[in-house]
Amino acid sequence: MNRFLPIILTIVRGIGQAIGIVVLIFLLCRVVPGDVVDVLGIEGGLTSEQAAAMRQELGLDKPLVVQFTDWLVRALHGDFGNSLLFHTPVSDMLMHALPVTAQLASMSFLIGLGLALLLAVAATSTRSLFLDFTINAVNIWSIAAPTFCVGFIGILIFSIWLGWLPVLGSIGMAIVIIGLDIAGQVVKPLREELKEAVNLPHVRTARAKGLAPSQIAISHILPATSPIVLALSGLILTGLVSGSITMEVLFGLPGIGSLMLNAIHGRDYPVIMAAITVVAVSLVVINTVVDLISRLIDPRIS
Amino acid sequence: MSVIHQPTVRPTGAAWRWLREQPPSLLFAVALLIPILAAVLFAPPLIGYSPFDQDLLARNQGPSAAHLLGTDHLGRDVFVRLLDGGRTTLLVSISATIFAFVLGVGVGLVAITFGRITESVVFGFLDLVRALPGTLMALLLIVALGSGLGPLILALGLSYSPHVAYIARAAYQREISRDYVRAARTFGGGPMHVLWRHIVPNLLGVLVTQAAIILPRCIVTESVLSFLGVGSSPDAPTWGRMISDASRTIQQAPYVLMMPLIALVVLTTCISIFGDHLRRWLDPVRESAGDNITPLPAREVQP
Repeated sequence: MNRFLPIILTIVRGIGQAIGIVVLIFLLCRVVPGDVVDVLGIEGGLTSEQAAAMRQELGLDKPLVVQFTDWLVRALHGDFGNSLLFHTPVSDMLMHALPVTAQLASMSFLIGLGLALLLAVAATSTRSLFLDFTINAVNIWSIAAPTFCVGFIGILIFSIWLGWLPVLGSIGMAIVIIGLDIAGQVVKPLREELKEAVNLPHVRTARAKGLAPSQIAISHILPATSPIVLALSGLILTGLVSGSITMEVLFGLPGIGSLMLNAIHGRDYPVIMAAITVVAVSLVVINTVVDLISRLIDPRIS
Repeated sequence: MSVIHQPTVRPTGAAWRWLREQPPSLLFAVALLIPILAAVLFAPPLIGYSPFDQDLLARNQGPSAAHLLGTDHLGRDVFVRLLDGGRTTLLVSISATIFAFVLGVGVGLVAITFGRITESVVFGFLDLVRALPGTLMALLLIVALGSGLGPLILALGLSYSPHVAYIARAAYQREISRDYVRAARTFGGGPMHVLWRHIVPNLLGVLVTQAAIILPRCIVTESVLSFLGVGSSPDAPTWGRMISDASRTIQQAPYVLMMPLIALVVLTTCISIFGDHLRRWLDPVRESAGDNITPLPAREVQP
């Protein structure tokens, strides 16, 4: 029982957090900007009867709590309503956009994490000052240079001057740019944490035995990185989310980020809510899973 | 009787030596920051063009004596637009940082002072907000608050304030267990007195350091929002907005795009380096614990 209690608590906490975030998104999207019908009315010139009919059709005349539970119950069944602009089901639009974002995010994650591990483990096992300097520089650069700026620099070099790639739709460039950004953000804390791992007794023993640095790196330092990477997952996810949104808009990729931004510009509230909810809830799910894995790896975590 | 000759210490010599002891990256950052800030703050009236003067006969020109950095697709002077955009960028991000700190420190410390229940309720809510990445939170707030410079500052400040509240709480907990605070309480100091007279002054170092870390992030997030078209408006463009606008003429006039791009990256890089050194200088203990990330097992979404 004692072993399972923290796991159950983690899951309960995750569910609570998901509900809280969905309520927050609902309130911010539906209450503060006034009313969807008002917004459409200004642009379309609705009479008051038409506006009232539309409110009834969209269920906006009901109390807020009822509106929220209606929306939540339908959302749980995969029904986010219809787009106000395109009159197509929002869930269909999400289904078209999700694979693009999933591909972009997963590939960038692999590239970013691989690069960060390579640099951090190499710097730790060789104790090279040059690599440490590189890590510092890359870290400052990725904090200071937003991904869209790097994207524009990439477009200027590879599309305008060299003419190698098309200006729009280059998912490869987008993946590399997000990957580099994540690597830069993660590599420094990873390296700092690894400094302590090198002084652990079993690593010192391995070095005393005369094991080659590359051997130590692979069999002793690399395994020590897994709890650190899990602890840094927040940083990685932040980079993935903001990176995907900006890169999709910059390169015209039809993913969740583009969907969200187009909806924000067109005040298409059902799409805005659905897109932000999907992203936020997947983040909570990933966070909870990461939390569970960390607990399985290291039961001391309180 | 002999006169003891003391070596005279020339003040310039001492200053020079002090400068030489500083790390080169810090000197580099400060040497770039000072002229940038001076130019952005004081130079625009000296140039002779307004940021909105159009000269349709001189469109997309390269640098010349009349236009130091050339003109854009409407014949507007790029240099004065760049400086003016820098003003707006700094105005928005500095206001947002100040707002985030006032709100974060205020809410954090007040929640702690009011007792355990308030603390856990408030920080539970902040935890919720922090589960969303800064960009997404700011986007959501822009949807709610509308567009324009005011809502932009509010959205940025609100999305960074939970982070500040956590920092304030951590610093508070470190100070509250110290002997001098216990002494003050023994002498009958009430919670507000202790907070105001003893805790807040001691938080300043940590907060200044965090401000230097959050300010460049505010600049970056603002530029991302402006690039996405939900930040500043065309009549008061920030550098992010200028980059986004200039991207439409990327084929005809790539340098119009490059100028705000370079300016933005140089500014944020310099402030980040400055903040990094400030942190080492004011808070040397945390150097070993890595960046502003709490060691394992706390898993946090960074701003």
